[in-house]
Amino acid sequence: MNKIEFTLDGKPVSAAPGQTILEVAAANGIFIPTLCREQRISKSTSCFVCVVRDRKTGRFLPSCSSCPAPGQDVDASSEEVQDMRRTALNLLLSEHTGDCEAPCTMACPAHASVEEYVRAGKNGDFLESLKIIKERIPLPMSIGRVCPRFCEKDCRRNVYGKPVAINDFKRLAADLYYDEYLETLPPETGRRVAIVGGGPAGLATAYFLRRNGVAATIFEAMPQAGGMLRYGIPAYRLPKAILDRELAHFDRLGVRFEYNRRLGENLSLDELKRDFDAVAITVGCWQASGMRCEGEELATQGIDFLRAVALAGNKGANPGKVVVIGGGNTAMDCVRTAVRLGSPDVNCFYRRTEAEMPAEKIEIHEAREEGVQFHFLVAPVSLRRDGDHLVLSCRRMELGEPDASGRRKPVPVPGSDFEVVADTVIAAIGQTTLAPAGLETDRRGNLRIAAGASRVADGVYAAGDCVSGAATVVEAVAAARVMTLEIISGFNGEEYRPEPQVNVSRGHWQSLKKENLVFLRTDVSEADREKQEFIPLEERRTTFHEVCHTMTPEQIRREGTRCIECSCTAKGDCKLRQHAERCGASPDAIPGEKLPVVYDTRHPVIIQDRGKCIKCGICVKVCSEVVNLSLLSPKRRGFFTYVGTAFDRGFPESCAECGECINACPVGALDWRLKK
Amino acid sequence: MNVGIQKIRVGTASCGIAAGAGAVLESLRTVARGIPMEETGCIGHCYAEPLVEVITTDGRSIFYSQVRGDEQSAEAILNLSEVGRFEVPAGRKAKELVKVMALAGRINPVSYEDYVAHDGYVALRRALSMRPEEVVAEVKLSGLRGRGGGGFPTGNKWGFLAAKQADQKILICNADEGDPGAFMDRSLMESVPHQMLEGMLIAAHATGATRLFIYCRAEYPMAIRHLRIAIEQIYEHKLNVIDGRELEIIIKEGAGAFVCGEETALIHSLEGKRGMPRFRPPFPTDSGWKGYPTMINNVETFGNIPLILREGGEKFASVGTAGSKGTKLFALAGDLKYPGLVEVPMGITLAEIVFDIGGADPNEVKAVQTGGPSGGCIPVEKFDTPVDYDSLRSLGAIMGSGGMIVIGRKRCMVETARYFLDFTHRESCGKCTFCRVGTKRMFETLCRITEGKGQLSDLDFLEDLGKKVRAGSLCGLGQTAPNPVLATLRYFRNEYLEHVEQHRCRALSCSALVDVKLDQSRCIKCKLCIKGCPVGAISDDFVVDNSLCTRCNSCIEVCPKKAIGRVEKGEGSTR
Repeated sequence: MNKIEFTLDGKPVSAAPGQTILEVAAANGIFIPTLCREQRISKSTSCFVCVVRDRKTGRFLPSCSSCPAPGQDVDASSEEVQDMRRTALNLLLSEHTGDCEAPCTMACPAHASVEEYVRAGKNGDFLESLKIIKERIPLPMSIGRVCPRFCEKDCRRNVYGKPVAINDFKRLAADLYYDEYLETLPPETGRRVAIVGGGPAGLATAYFLRRNGVAATIFEAMPQAGGMLRYGIPAYRLPKAILDRELAHFDRLGVRFEYNRRLGENLSLDELKRDFDAVAITVGCWQASGMRCEGEELATQGIDFLRAVALAGNKGANPGKVVVIGGGNTAMDCVRTAVRLGSPDVNCFYRRTEAEMPAEKIEIHEAREEGVQFHFLVAPVSLRRDGDHLVLSCRRMELGEPDASGRRKPVPVPGSDFEVVADTVIAAIGQTTLAPAGLETDRRGNLRIAAGASRVADGVYAAGDCVSGAATVVEAVAAARVMTLEIISGFNGEEYRPEPQVNVSRGHWQSLKKENLVFLRTDVSEADREKQEFIPLEERRTTFHEVCHTMTPEQIRREGTRCIECSCTAKGDCKLRQHAERCGASPDAIPGEKLPVVYDTRHPVIIQDRGKCIKCGICVKVCSEVVNLSLLSPKRRGFFTYVGTAFDRGFPESCAECGECINACPVGALDWRLKK
Repeated sequence: MNVGIQKIRVGTASCGIAAGAGAVLESLRTVARGIPMEETGCIGHCYAEPLVEVITTDGRSIFYSQVRGDEQSAEAILNLSEVGRFEVPAGRKAKELVKVMALAGRINPVSYEDYVAHDGYVALRRALSMRPEEVVAEVKLSGLRGRGGGGFPTGNKWGFLAAKQADQKILICNADEGDPGAFMDRSLMESVPHQMLEGMLIAAHATGATRLFIYCRAEYPMAIRHLRIAIEQIYEHKLNVIDGRELEIIIKEGAGAFVCGEETALIHSLEGKRGMPRFRPPFPTDSGWKGYPTMINNVETFGNIPLILREGGEKFASVGTAGSKGTKLFALAGDLKYPGLVEVPMGITLAEIVFDIGGADPNEVKAVQTGGPSGGCIPVEKFDTPVDYDSLRSLGAIMGSGGMIVIGRKRCMVETARYFLDFTHRESCGKCTFCRVGTKRMFETLCRITEGKGQLSDLDFLEDLGKKVRAGSLCGLGQTAPNPVLATLRYFRNEYLEHVEQHRCRALSCSALVDVKLDQSRCIKCKLCIKGCPVGAISDDFVVDNSLCTRCNSCIEVCPKKAIGRVEKGEGSTR
């Protein structure tokens, strides 16, 4: 048979008679995405993701079905073609309903595979659970204790009742197996990175670098590593013995530490740049913000107070009557530490109301339990010394119009000034970065990113609080991971590209009702959330003992049965998602009505979700042309077309459960009911 | 009394029946005992239905229009009353060229003898006396192009099938006339069913077809009934024996999917599958029904064939333009005086059709939509364009199957585009991504604009997506669905801009962008509006509260003095 000679992307190629452009492209190493082509069945020609363009006529052709004509000049890769493919994918995504990832994973700054480690915990496989956690979260013992639990706030169980106690899975898994589990590490590549600052961001950077074969040396200003974990977060939340156990792991990873090395004092950036292949700045936020009131120098800074107590081994003088100014987590750490140092009268002054407090609700609640008094809508005016005491002048506030942060701005009430006498006044207003000399800062005093996600200068990268401003441990860990990937791209001479993440969501749980939830498992527990067991209140008030215990394995296994497991069964191998990520398509690109969620779980082992179906027709043809059963067919018309069974009665008994339709489905519209 | 009347014909095609011809026939039968009464088809003057034709004993023909179905009206007709007589409007008389529809309304549709008496099956006899290739050559010579909308040269298509060697060859008549407002094929099938069948039999001889299908939408019960009778008559007279082969003519009723008018979807439907188009090639003439070479022609195309064989291809080609020969049927509808079915020579201008034949007021028309929902609108400034396949295409419209909707000044072009997209996005077969989802997104965007929630960027979005839907769809449905949007964006962009920038609908058509106001000076305080308002938006002192009003138009329609009307947003009252 004569070969057909034609041009593909400017290159002369030949095709056998009957060969499609898609097949010729594949044979010539030119990637063309397709969703509806399946070799074993007749052509569907439905998705139009595989379009190419005939340069002579300007016409777009579905390459899966078009056979080349002699002399044809086919364009398979130009921006025009890519735009067409992207639009096709955008259209498919615009009607696609479902949760690719579970909302917990999306809410987690580190995008940990929450559903998977919760499932492992449910099954009692806590080592497996830890392995999954550590893919994204290298400090599970600490984060398992101090994380504000972004994941739980978006948990679909909020629709009815309390969220799954996700963070407790981390804590238990780490407590049980952290010491013994060590990842398989690749051989070192010879590259070396200097990390300035041994807090969460620095530690995470060292961890992710090592897992990519890059050796790291951490230069730490303090006598011990841990940063805020050691010198900021009080021991009753994170016992330092736990932190020591967590850090011991870094020695096993081969991370080198140099203590008491402070940039600008006994360490210079130029030196590091000279001696290492890259420098990562993770110095955190250690500069307290001022109260901007007269006499503020008389106040103790919150982080200084906490650091002093930590350095002294959880000891300190009784601070007497204490007023802490501020409403964040640092303020909560200060009031609760003051209680433990024996203060009989601990007060928190905050200029807005409790609803606006940035501190975690649980922290406020626990502080109150421990006897802290809260005073809202109060702002400091001035501070002066009067003999042995301090006198704080305050002014009452009321809430006005919302400010840039969306919170209502406090406005002074005229003539409402009053005075408070105290022994200790602690300012816990906020923190900024103490920027190393030679690095540029932004308006808020944090390091300015010059390029990419984390580059601040040539060969110098930064991540964590010193870039974002004071944030959480898990956010620092997430930023460190991104920085590590960027450093490694730099080593490979590549431009750093953020990991594409196409995620379709059914929407926030607040927009859903219980009947909108999809229960693949029939054994989702209706029980209440397992409760953490607290130590006695008196012990909490008088010692720095950790306030609550790790949940028991039995508790975690029970709690695991409360997880709905709402992510898509096909998230690992969804072609729509893969092509969308590759082609730059997005579920938000084209707004419009979505398909209704019609999840058919009548069959014991096969699930069908019309909302995910892309109407490629593969399953219909596979069932009729390969399996010879014809159990599926398209129904209705237009936008409301769907694939269904006869009379929508579900798969009949004649269904062989062969799984051919499931294997061929490019998305998660047809799948096995069980998740692996 | 009855002296002077030879026979009476009543038009009882679907259009006549819908207008009340059944009662008219009944009353005439009651009153006019002994006078031969004949049911006939449609002469195309829809606005004048029910129509009664009286043939006098001296051979004159007197038409009565809009006849009521009571005995007085019947009596008046029998008395050859001067009142109620119908004359074809002068403009139409001058411009129309009735050839294909010549027998419609003149003969009894279900009478074989009547058809034969009017030169029926003369063409078939002539064709059978010719060699098949001579017939194909004659069709080629005529320059006839497919009347279903595509405009592919019919003779070439016949040639393709004739050249095929196969143990079976299939001929399909596409009678799945789906465009809203189009009824050319229905009228022809109801009024002269034999004409189309004669065309098919000629094609069977010319191409060697062994099996004949008529794919007709089930919504045409009368057409199907008449065809079945005609087919029985054909069998009876052995006209279906072509070149020694006894051919079966099979009617397949379509279940109402618009897309089944597309040839590959139609074939799937005929095969008993879901009507979904497939990629071409292979073209049906290579591989069609059950893999056999298959040729599909439209009803009107087959309806033209007997003419060509009777008068010769050359004479047929003397009518029309260089690229488009013969006459074309149009279903005229919309904002004009004389809606109906017209037959005009190719090359006639839009102005002649709309103004001279349709009687539309040139000051009140702003555009015409050709080709139904797949077509495009042509602004009044371009009405000097000759109507043929190529000129219409160059304007962004298409000839289509022959729907022609006149759009008056009081219509909103955005709403018009929205209306058509509402139809197409529901009728997409759901296969191609661009058609299934793209038309839906275009429709949603148009809805937003008509609700006053549009943005300037929506216009670019519509244009960009429209072009992609056109380029990324397998069949004619998707390829043409964006036409109404793209054409209105091209010619009436200012209306879109007014909607998104000023939240104004100049036609006062988009309910979200208008107020309703009662003109107190014309009001006679009859309170019909107050009684009719479903939401109590009109006060006792006759003021419409626009914050309550739902713009349902009830008051406007009920007001005997036309004192209530739509005004621009902000001009009405709000309490």
